[in-house]
Amino acid sequence: MTWVRKTIEWGLAMALVMAAQSNVRAQNYSCNSISTWIFSSTPLEDIRAESAKGSGVIVAATRAVVVQIPVKTLEFERKLMQEHFNENYMESDRYPYARFKGTLDPGADLSKDGTYSVNVGGVLSVHGVDKQRTIPCKLLVKNGVVNVEAQFKVACADHNITIPRLVFAKIAESISVRISGQFHALKQN
Amino acid sequence: MNKSGLFFNVLGSLIALSWLAVPAVKAQDADSLLRSMDTLSKSEPVQAVFKATRIVLSHSTETQKKHDLDLRIRHHFGDIGGRFGSAHTLYGLDVASDLFIGLDYGVTDDFTVAVGRSKQDETFNFSGKYKLLKQQDTGMPVNLTLLAQMGWVAREPFNENEFTSYADRFSWFFQGLISRKLTSRLSLQVMPGYLIRQVSMEPGDPRNLFVLGFAGRMKLTKRLSFVADYTLVNGLSRQPDNLANAYYDPLGVGLEIETGGHIFSLNFMNSEYILENNFIPNTKKSWGKGGVRFGFTISRNFSLFKSKDPGKQSKIY
Repeated sequence: MTWVRKTIEWGLAMALVMAAQSNVRAQNYSCNSISTWIFSSTPLEDIRAESAKGSGVIVAATRAVVVQIPVKTLEFERKLMQEHFNENYMESDRYPYARFKGTLDPGADLSKDGTYSVNVGGVLSVHGVDKQRTIPCKLLVKNGVVNVEAQFKVACADHNITIPRLVFAKIAESISVRISGQFHALKQN
Repeated sequence: MNKSGLFFNVLGSLIALSWLAVPAVKAQDADSLLRSMDTLSKSEPVQAVFKATRIVLSHSTETQKKHDLDLRIRHHFGDIGGRFGSAHTLYGLDVASDLFIGLDYGVTDDFTVAVGRSKQDETFNFSGKYKLLKQQDTGMPVNLTLLAQMGWVAREPFNENEFTSYADRFSWFFQGLISRKLTSRLSLQVMPGYLIRQVSMEPGDPRNLFVLGFAGRMKLTKRLSFVADYTLVNGLSRQPDNLANAYYDPLGVGLEIETGGHIFSLNFMNSEYILENNFIPNTKKSWGKGGVRFGFTISRNFSLFKSKDPGKQSKIY
C-alpha cells in the first residue's frame, strides 16, 4: 500500500507548503481608504481639512510602512481656501503626494491580537522636502485586521512651505495631522 | 537514501525557500504595492485656471465657488497722454472715466449670478455664468464657460430722441469662454461673443456686434501674475471705415496680486469703460494716441453659509 502512503505524504507536503506560503503572504497589509485630518489653529482662525483617500502598505516581515496621501484629496469647507492650499502652499501639481516611509519599531506582533503603541521611524516627505521623523502610532490588531492611528505635527517651515506676512496670523506655523486607517491582510492573487 | 528520504529533503527545502524567498521579494514590493493602489484620480478637474472671474477687462472661465460672494470694485482713470492727459490731469488720475461696484455669488460651484453698477450711463448689469466643461489631466482638454449679461442704462435721456422706447435702454451680451491651463504658470483663453443692442451710436454701425476675445495669464510668482486680454471688434461685424468716429479694439494688461481671499489688480487699458456692454461698442481711445489709462480692481471674497458640522468647520474669530 505504498501508493496510499505516498498520496498522504504528497497531500501533507502540499498542505504544508501552501500553509507556509499563505502564512507569509498574509503578512502584507494594505489600506486604500486612510483618513487624514489636518488642523491649523490660531487665535484668528481655525482651519480644517479632511481626506479619506490615503493609501498605505505594511510589510510585516520587514516591518516596512509606507503611507501616502494625495494632497488634492484634502477637502476644505471653503473651496477657495482649498484652491489656495493646493496652488500657493502645497503646490500639489508639482508635489502631488505627502508620503511617509518608515520602519515599525519591534514590539508589535501583527499576527497576534492586541493593542500596541510603537514608534515608526522614517522619512516624511511633504512639499518635496524630506524630513527624518519618529512618529508614535497606535496599532490595534484584531482578527488579522490592523487599525493604525497616528497623531503628529508638521511644521510648515520644515517643508519649505512659506506663509506670507499678510496671512501669517491666520495660518498656524505647525499643522496638526491625524491619520487613521484599517489595514487588511493582502490577499494573494 | 531511500525515496521518501529524498522526498522529505526536497519538501524541507521547498518550505524553507518559501519562508525565506517570499518575504524578501514582497519586502521590495512595498513601494510598487502602494503604486498599484494609487487613489489620485487623473480625471479631477484642473484647479485655478485663472485666479479670478475677470482677467483685465473680460471675464475668465472661472466661476465663484459655491456660496462664495465676491465684492468687486473697479476703477478706470483718465487718459495718461494726449489732449486729456499729461500733468494737467496728473496723467489721468484726476479723471474717473468709469467706476464699477459689483457682487458675484456662487449658487453652485459651476453657476454664478452677478449684479453690478457702472458709472458709465448709470449702467446696471445682471449676469449669469455657467461652467459647462472642465479641463482634466486626462480627458477634457479645455474649460468652457457660458456668460449672459444684460445691461440696463438707467440715466436720464440726453435728448428727446433718446430712449424713445424703454427697451432701447437694454443690451445683451452673450459669450462662450474657452480656456486651457497649459502649465501651472500659463493659461490661455479665447472667447467669441455677441452683443445685441437696440440702438447704435451712428448710422453704419451695426446694432449687433460679433467679437472675438483673447486672454492669458502668466504667473510670475505664486501670488503675482501678469494678465492680458484683447477683444477684436473692428473688422468683424463692424467696419470702422464706415464710421464717423474712430473706434478701437479694447486691450488691457495688468498685474494681479492674490493674498488669500483678496485680489488686487493694477491695470492699463485703452478702454474707458468697464462693462462688456459698454467697452465693446464704445472704446474711442487708442494705445497709440495717449489714450491708455491706469485702472485697478479690488476684490474681496466672502464665504457664506458655514457648515453646521463642527468637524468640518473653519472658524474665523
